[in-house]
Amino acid sequence: MITTQITTEEKGKAFKSQRKPEVIDKQKLNVRYHIEDFDVNDRPRRFLESFAAILKHSNYKIALDHFIRMSAKCSRCAVTCQVYQATGDLKDIPCYRTELLLKVYRRHFTVGGMLKGRLVGIGYLTDGDIQEMAESFWNCTACRRCVNDCPSGIDHGLVTHLGRYILSEIGIAPKALVVSTREQLEGATGNTSAIPLPALIDSLEFLEEEMFDEKTVHIKFPLDVKNADYVFFPAVSDFLMEADTLMGIAAVFTATGDSWTTGKGYFDGINYGLFYSDRILERVVKKIDVETRRLKGKNVLIGECGHASRTAKYYLPGYCGGKDALPVINIMEYTHKAWKEGKLKLDPNVIREKVAYHDPCNLARQKWIIDKPREILKSFCKNYIEMAPRGEDNICCGGGGGTVSIDEIRPYRTTIGGKLKADQIRNAGCEILVAPCANCKKQLKELVEDQGIECEVIGLHDLIYKAIIFDKSLIVENKEEEAKEEE
Amino acid sequence: MDQWLEFTRGPLFRLCFVIMILGLLRILILDFIGAVKLYRSVADKTIPWKLVLSRTLQWLFPIKKIGRSRPVYSVISILFHIGLLIVPIFLFAHVKLWESSVGTSWITLPFAAAYVLTLSTVAFGLLLFLGRVFNKSSSFISRKQDYIWPLLLLIPFLTGFICAHLNISPAFYSFTMLIHILTGNMIFVLIPFTKIAHCVLMPFSQIINTLAWKFPPDTDKAICKTLNKEGVPV
Ligand code: HEM
Ligand code: SF4
Repeated sequence: MITTQITTEEKGKAFKSQRKPEVIDKQKLNVRYHIEDFDVNDRPRRFLESFAAILKHSNYKIALDHFIRMSAKCSRCAVTCQVYQATGDLKDIPCYRTELLLKVYRRHFTVGGMLKGRLVGIGYLTDGDIQEMAESFWNCTACRRCVNDCPSGIDHGLVTHLGRYILSEIGIAPKALVVSTREQLEGATGNTSAIPLPALIDSLEFLEEEMFDEKTVHIKFPLDVKNADYVFFPAVSDFLMEADTLMGIAAVFTATGDSWTTGKGYFDGINYGLFYSDRILERVVKKIDVETRRLKGKNVLIGECGHASRTAKYYLPGYCGGKDALPVINIMEYTHKAWKEGKLKLDPNVIREKVAYHDPCNLARQKWIIDKPREILKSFCKNYIEMAPRGEDNICCGGGGGTVSIDEIRPYRTTIGGKLKADQIRNAGCEILVAPCANCKKQLKELVEDQGIECEVIGLHDLIYKAIIFDKSLIVENKEEEAKEEE
Repeated sequence: MDQWLEFTRGPLFRLCFVIMILGLLRILILDFIGAVKLYRSVADKTIPWKLVLSRTLQWLFPIKKIGRSRPVYSVISILFHIGLLIVPIFLFAHVKLWESSVGTSWITLPFAAAYVLTLSTVAFGLLLFLGRVFNKSSSFISRKQDYIWPLLLLIPFLTGFICAHLNISPAFYSFTMLIHILTGNMIFVLIPFTKIAHCVLMPFSQIINTLAWKFPPDTDKAICKTLNKEGVPV
């Protein structure tokens, strides 16, 4: 799929910085996202020091060496990238973005580059280079769609990831992400949305009452249950913004009768480390491990969230015990299994709208979860339609790579990052778009609003909640009486 | 002149060929050592072999990929590579040279096929070059070597064609042949040190970028220590 380039006027709007000129001046950095104050002196040297430290203690070197030898500059990625398609700015070609960092690597960390650099006397990393990287690496949504089009196997997503990591070590990282992470790792509430535990308990009780009113079934959010089969970590923002998704998940567990719980010690699946720092990634993943083990839970269950699922699934084994790490599953895998086993009955007469499914990049790119949610949807949505491209070649919502959490760049996300997606949704003409990811949901809601598309964006379990048919034994016959008894 | 020809296709060729083989072996081994080291350092040892293998094969035989991005370029590139790989290896005259020096021989291209493939490779190489010059995004990301390679590769093909198929004077023949051999030798030397290294590295790209997403444990502490950031808040 190809989209059209945006107009100069739209470009102006998309790139308009919300930052005050004096801040830009002080930070010597003309980027669109807010950054906390940091040391602006001597940036090239500190960048190189951080780069060196990261190379020393991690495995990026092998990939970078491979990439600099391989790159064929075929320009296929240009055709693929939704950002480049929308801006038409040659500097948004994935291969160019990647070259920004590979250039530094070649010049400062390979023998050939160092010799050549010394002899010819050019190519030393400048402050300008750093400014360009700080801008460029946050233009990319880290969707990794371009990876599937690179014959050389250059993973532009990985290079962007590393570039942001190094930048964050010298203080250049979006404030929105850093502040949330600080609260999660060092704050009083221990989660990115800063929800205090009492507030969480209150809102879950409220949801339980609401569900009882609607379904006359006791649907519970078990809290802090020891030895549960599943310890649940949603994107914590779901507690504030996506209650329907959580209600659907609770409903599924009520139908299956399996034991699950939300830990009082830690209940946040979000891991912004994936977007800007492996050090953060590691620390946050470990919190999930600690909480699940405290509760003696058997499985880590991640809610409807792409990056949360990916970080837990791929990095829990990596950081917390390898083969002995706790198994991680995404809620859609669980629900699919229950549905397959016949434990979940869905009414095919409830959802009559045109429904389409959006693949979150973090679930689909590596072909992890693609067909399971579709099978469930097709089983009860009469009017299910498929968008193309889909699955491992899906189009990013435009808010990937943490950009969705940076509110001040919303115009960028909805006019550039999400433009191709908007075209796709418009073409499909769906009335309901199922996006089982907290990031995608927020971005897509803003996207359809800003682009004026008539389409409701919801989660998979929101729909399941609407259509679920409970076993008769679970339904409370005399609702009033029971309510009185409880009092 | 004949001595020159003898020298370039004898000792000089052997030297260049050995440099190429050793150079390619070097990068292969470096890649391999890197991958093994990486694998040892990470705790998560699972590798999605099926996915890695299918993606690798899809690019080595990129039939399925043609229609995706840049279909015209893809077709040209594939046809270019076919000639590039088949002609030098299976040309009757080349096989004869191997037979007379090493003693082994293998099947050879029919005369007509060599004729067509040589010309088509030249044509497709030129198209690749022009495509690079005139495609806005290609030319923006291209380095010098990206322009030079398609052209450089054409020289031995053109000169070889002239020698084999055209009726030319012996002196001109020798001169053309000398250029043919010299550029061929030069290509051998350059292969391991430029992007043409892809001819041996390509099968390993997918496994390497899969592995590269696995991060070793406890880097947080180590990096903080190196950068003097221990105990510094987020
Ligand atoms: C044997 C396995 C080889 C494979 C699988 C391979 C594959 C590729 C691929 C995937 C590209 C990127 C362009 C595209 O997407 O089509 C490429 C480009 C290129 N290859 Fe190869 N290659 C091989 C061998 C060679 C050899 C032996 C040479 C030269 C001696 C060569 C010369 C080139 C050149 C010059 C380009 C750049 C084309 C352009 O200007 O766009 N390749 N190759
Ligand atoms: S990862 Fe996505 S947004 Fe980033 S360069 Fe590749 S295609 Fe573009």
